[in-house]
Amino acid sequence: MKQLYNDFFGEFGGRYVAEVLRSPLDELESAFVDALSDEAFMREFHRLLASYVGRPTPLLHAENVTRDVGGAQIYIKLEGLAATGAHKINNALGQALLARRMGKPRIIAETGAGQHGVATAAVCAKLGLQCRVYMGEVDMRRQKPNVFWMEMYGAEVVPVTSGARTLKDAVNEAMRDWSANFADTHYLLGSALGPSPFPDMVREFQSVIGTEVVSQLSALGVRPTTLVTCVGGGSNAMGFFSPYIHETEPELIGVEAGGRGPAQGDHAARMNGLGTPGIVQGYRSLFLLDDDGQVMPTHSVSAGLDYPGVGPQLAHLGQTGRVRFERATDSEALEGLQYFARKEGVIFALESAHAGMVAIRRAKELTPDEAVVINMSGRGDKDLFITARELDAERWKEFLTREAASL
Amino acid sequence: MSNTTRIMAHVIPWYPDRAQSMDAVRGLVDAGVSYLEVQFPFSDPTADGPAIQAACSDALEAGFTVADGFAFLDEIRTITDTPVFLMSYASLIYRPGVQAFVARAREHGVAGLIVPDLPPDYDEGLYDACRDAGIACVPVLVATSADARVDLALSTKPEYVYVALRTGTTGSRTELGALNMGFLEKIGASGTKIFAGFGIQDAGQVQALAPHCEAAVVGSAFVRTIAAASGSGVYEAVKARAESLLDAK
Repeated sequence: MKQLYNDFFGEFGGRYVAEVLRSPLDELESAFVDALSDEAFMREFHRLLASYVGRPTPLLHAENVTRDVGGAQIYIKLEGLAATGAHKINNALGQALLARRMGKPRIIAETGAGQHGVATAAVCAKLGLQCRVYMGEVDMRRQKPNVFWMEMYGAEVVPVTSGARTLKDAVNEAMRDWSANFADTHYLLGSALGPSPFPDMVREFQSVIGTEVVSQLSALGVRPTTLVTCVGGGSNAMGFFSPYIHETEPELIGVEAGGRGPAQGDHAARMNGLGTPGIVQGYRSLFLLDDDGQVMPTHSVSAGLDYPGVGPQLAHLGQTGRVRFERATDSEALEGLQYFARKEGVIFALESAHAGMVAIRRAKELTPDEAVVINMSGRGDKDLFITARELDAERWKEFLTREAASL
Repeated sequence: MSNTTRIMAHVIPWYPDRAQSMDAVRGLVDAGVSYLEVQFPFSDPTADGPAIQAACSDALEAGFTVADGFAFLDEIRTITDTPVFLMSYASLIYRPGVQAFVARAREHGVAGLIVPDLPPDYDEGLYDACRDAGIACVPVLVATSADARVDLALSTKPEYVYVALRTGTTGSRTELGALNMGFLEKIGASGTKIFAGFGIQDAGQVQALAPHCEAAVVGSAFVRTIAAASGSGVYEAVKARAESLLDAK
């Protein structure tokens, strides 16, 4: 049942790429399978996860929220306390170590919210690898602080001006770079999607999240009823869910970006009938496509969820019913952000705040002897420029004007 | 020698708009190109370089739909018998169903399909559907393809193979080095006809390729010509460019 390399998950997955990318992907597949069964490699990975990333990340019993909601016990996996502020670094570290092992000194990556870019840039600095990050121009504008940090780590950040100028276009650009430079370059893809072996590899490197949750819950003597997390491409979800996907329990809920509402172009939800089976960017999954097969525009207040396709394994788990998908809107995410900050002293990333709100909804339907675990995949510091504008526009504008004037 | 040089000319319907893209086709046909490669624009063309990607974006913004693409092919049929190969990406072929798309391509007189992200082992039935419909399915290989990949492509017994000469995507100047030439010889020895391209800019390259392939594919060069001539005589500019590429001394 459980295996390292699957290629397909039911009808989803695969390696639908132009021939030029076949040899690098074939090479990556064998290097990945080989590395994960190498004890020395895994020892080094776990050593750096502990000393550099700061693992294990805590599991917080959100007692105030639990009391306030009045349903199930609510726990928060504080994945956002990992170095660089989100789960992204687990995979970035794993793949960068793999690249080094493969003798590839140059790393390229795509980024949406910037978290994967920041994590990759940091890890490359740590391991002495050259790093270039492709980022959509729109995303660069809304996540400027992350661009600053990536450059601080010594990475080159390249704006992508093609297409919708967001995450999917950054992926296209990175694939193009890789096509030309695979001899010395590893493409460090940040989500559990793309051509195989990426979905399998990203899940494996992220599975440390779920593995820790299992032992942390067991130390507390808690059996979870429900796990809830946000789903953009699906890397945090696959990592968080991975120990449980072959079991029938607990209930697993993935939360997609409901954006401004269900109208075309207003959201980034692919499940529950909104997406269409398609083949885009090297894999078969569910995508937001028009009748011709063109990729449609998406929207979310959180750049990390603003992507038209969902990882193939999650699409499959949605189809089999093992993972249930729900949506939270932009305004619900902002509400969740404020709620957890005030009640629990925890600032969620906007992406993760989507999951927070759905977890509260679900907890209300359950009883105090049950438990809901939320994966706070990232912390919210990075969103300052978005949330301040959304929640405190006047004073924020005043501050920015003053700052700009003083420059 | 110039009468033996053959070009497969790449064109994007609705770039920069419907009328001018048809002007480009006329210019190419009148210049005497041997094959047309008509690319249906896709929103996320990962195997194309920046020039062609930008042109595809423009075509989509100009309102291109797949139905328009097939109407464009019908119009080409009214002006020439030059064989037309339809190039696009998996998403457009898979969305209506591979068999349905292939049947439609056949109805509209397409000689063959080129779909780089549906290689023979992840083809969704494309190769069989083309065989059943009696049109060519053209595998795309690169000079760095491993032997097993070459053998797999040739095992489909293709009438044509599309060889991307340099590693990378379209649009950069290609050096026709020993690796490329050796690869073309190897593929040619199988008896299949070769379309060889990516990055061809001048008549000398077309001439150098001539003995090694059925036709040299020219894409980005025409896109640039069309961009420069848009609004001021695309027909003349494209015709002159194609003639200059064919006129090898």
